[in-house]
Amino acid sequence: MKSRLLLAFVLLPVAVEAQADTQWLLDQSTLSYHMSHPMHQVDGVSHAAKGKGTCHAGQCSFLIAAPVKSFDSGDTNRDLHMLDATRGAQFPMVVVRTSFSEAATTAPTIDADLEIQLAGQTAHYSHVVFQRVSDGNSVRITGTIPATCSDFKIDRPSFLTVPIKNEIPVKVEMTWHKM
Amino acid sequence: MPLQAPKILFALRLLMLCILLPLVAAAQTATLSGTATDAKGKPIANASVSITAAAGTESVSVNVHTDAEGNYSIPNLAQGDYSISASGEGLASKAIKVTITSVAHQTLDLLLTAELEQQKPAQELPNAPTAAPPPAPASPSLEDLGFSSQQTQGNAQLQATLEKRTRMLKIHQKLGLITTIPMVAAVITGPMAKAKGKNGEVIKEPTTANLDVHAALGGVTAALYFTSAYFAIAAPRVPDTHKHGGIRWHEALAFVHGPGMILTPISGAMAYNQENNGQKPTGFAAQHGTIAYVTAAAYGAAIVAVSWPIHWKFWEKK
Repeated sequence: MKSRLLLAFVLLPVAVEAQADTQWLLDQSTLSYHMSHPMHQVDGVSHAAKGKGTCHAGQCSFLIAAPVKSFDSGDTNRDLHMLDATRGAQFPMVVVRTSFSEAATTAPTIDADLEIQLAGQTAHYSHVVFQRVSDGNSVRITGTIPATCSDFKIDRPSFLTVPIKNEIPVKVEMTWHKM
Repeated sequence: MPLQAPKILFALRLLMLCILLPLVAAAQTATLSGTATDAKGKPIANASVSITAAAGTESVSVNVHTDAEGNYSIPNLAQGDYSISASGEGLASKAIKVTITSVAHQTLDLLLTAELEQQKPAQELPNAPTAAPPPAPASPSLEDLGFSSQQTQGNAQLQATLEKRTRMLKIHQKLGLITTIPMVAAVITGPMAKAKGKNGEVIKEPTTANLDVHAALGGVTAALYFTSAYFAIAAPRVPDTHKHGGIRWHEALAFVHGPGMILTPISGAMAYNQENNGQKPTGFAAQHGTIAYVTAAAYGAAIVAVSWPIHWKFWEKK
């Protein structure tokens, strides 16, 4: 009897660990790219991103995706031009994948390596720092991805024959909740 | 002999099946191609390129080699997530995750770097592209996020429409800007413009030379304007697009400067004839100047509208 109890105590944490998969779901998000031109400073904003995270055996994998055409800069003509430049009809989704240790999900800052698919190209960004603020079961993440047009072989859109700057930093504000 | 008819029919059906099956299969697969290069952009010939289906999808593992120009092509890939890597000439790429969609031909270029460089800590390689993040188990897929296949599938036809639209609107924009030069000159050289004469005196009445130059400028303006307008009108429309922002003003103002650009030359020609006959323009011809000013103002406003919000950086204090 004693040996069975002992065995149960030994195996219980293993069983708990095996069932300890956690899932994260993206509640709200604001993704905005910033475009600089000698005549313009434009922000294209999307609230249409969806995301999911799975943590297993101490490692978490996250996937966030948004339709390219969901980015709105306040002018249809400009957005269609950007949709063309990013080959958004042929590759309609911008997809972000990241993975880090589960311990990182409780730290005030998250240092993430990102893999981003856009315009049929994949680019990797190392050590992108996100601020994390916890509120009960929800977590708010903010940060900026230092994206550039050349990372995705995007021909820089031009206006009045002058192209925009290569840098198109993407500001990220997301609220996740643990399921 | 009559017994052979069903056999022939069966053979024909089998033949059709053999022809159609690969076509059906091909319609559901895609070809991934690209170029393998080193950090300096030099193509890597005969590099080994391996693609493996991500865990959880149909097991696929294909290995191909690049040609003399570093190009590779992997046909018949089913939709899904894959991991691709390449190696050759002592160089290797990181494993890259790629999602194959329904688009028939997809491209992905591969960057091969020296092994030592790949092992550098990521912070020594700022920004992108750098090392791929370590693979993690049970990565969610796009389907898990709840996007419909309609949202995630590419549309090559729509992309072609967008490209054609951009090409035509770029020409429209360039010609539109060029049009402003003769337009401004025509406004300045208008018969009643207070130009300076040879001796510095103010010319208040039109001269023949002044009229001819003005008419020529007006003609050039109209020709450029209508060529530019053609490219805007003929540019393909993108379906399911709700227009908003400055483009709406830009298009609305065309209803002012468009008719204006028709009426201005007509009234101008009438005024020109009357002036040449020694008469003072009367009636509709007398309105030529007013119509021209309204047209030019609407044209300028249309350029401002499509440029809005204007943000001159050099006006800002650092």
